[in-house]
Amino acid sequence: MKHGLKVIAVGLALAVPSAFAGNGTTAEHIEAATAAYKKVAKETSYQWTVTVKAIKAAQKALDAGDDKAARELAHHAMALVEATRTQAKLESENWKMRVPK
Amino acid sequence: MKKIISHVAFGLLGLSVSAAVVAGPAEDRAAFQKFYENRFPDTPVADFQNGVYSILPAAREQWEAIEEFPPYELSIERGEEIYNKTFANGKSMASCFGDDGAVRGQYPYWDRDRGMVVTMELAINECLEANGEKPLKYKKGAIADVGAFMSFNSRGQKVNVEIPSDDPRALAAYENGKEHFYTKRGQLNFACADCHMYTAGNLYRADTTSPAFGHATSWPVFRSKWQSMGTLHRRFAGCHNNIRANPYKAQGEEYRNLEYFVTYMSNDLEYNGPAARK
Repeated sequence: MKHGLKVIAVGLALAVPSAFAGNGTTAEHIEAATAAYKKVAKETSYQWTVTVKAIKAAQKALDAGDDKAARELAHHAMALVEATRTQAKLESENWKMRVPK
Repeated sequence: MKKIISHVAFGLLGLSVSAAVVAGPAEDRAAFQKFYENRFPDTPVADFQNGVYSILPAAREQWEAIEEFPPYELSIERGEEIYNKTFANGKSMASCFGDDGAVRGQYPYWDRDRGMVVTMELAINECLEANGEKPLKYKKGAIADVGAFMSFNSRGQKVNVEIPSDDPRALAAYENGKEHFYTKRGQLNFACADCHMYTAGNLYRADTTSPAFGHATSWPVFRSKWQSMGTLHRRFAGCHNNIRANPYKAQGEEYRNLEYFVTYMSNDLEYNGPAARK
């Protein structure tokens, strides 16, 4: 049982990007999402329009003093970045299946 | 002697296996066109150049009525003026493309010297810049007008894109365009092939998706949605926006390679631009 909990805890720690694991400021979370977005775009050329919108909305909320909403939006943007990365990884091989023979 | 025969037989077997596994552009195109012929058996092959109207009889009647007073007519006239306008150096676009600009059938092509795909719009801007003129924006406006004039004068020319087999860079550009066509992108997780191949003819909200076979023949087009003329790369970007993927740069390498692939897939159809589309 203890071993199972440890595995779950380690899994969760790995699933959460390092910038989000600590208590960093919301501004740092937005910066982390922005950096992650740029990194995936550079490495894969995959970019989603909604990710940029989420980052901009997070910054706007932060500027308006709504820290909670800004943080949630930053986390949403990071989730979109991770989904983009996964798509790029899967599609690097899967596209071939769609070519008619 | 027996040993030689067995080596030759083994070699031939190897060749036939590798040919089956690694399909080249010609095999790709045959399979691509066959797919649409099977999916839309009532559409004559030559009619695929008419886009969605080749598979949608009800919409076709409306389109034919529109074509009687085509909304791109003024664009052709504007394009002719721009085409014949004298540059500061005394020349005009005719110095690059001939008196009537009927060169649509020569594009896109593989430029061996530069190792890149050259599209007609790129060539128009290169002509302007070579003559000391300012280049045009690539998605709409004057570039679409000039393209409309040149395409109109080129109607009936066959699509005949070549992938030179002795230049691996050309094959790489083709493969890049092919990969792009079949790859899912954006938050909606769509590939070009999803809408315009495997579900071509289906409704997406109120619109029927067009077959990709014939996609590249009719540009530039007047789209009712835009209420203006636009280039193929404008449409590429619009599609990417629809699936929530960031569009690539018009006339950048990614879209030029995609155009190279899509146009090659329509080889043997006729160029029939400019056209009206929904």
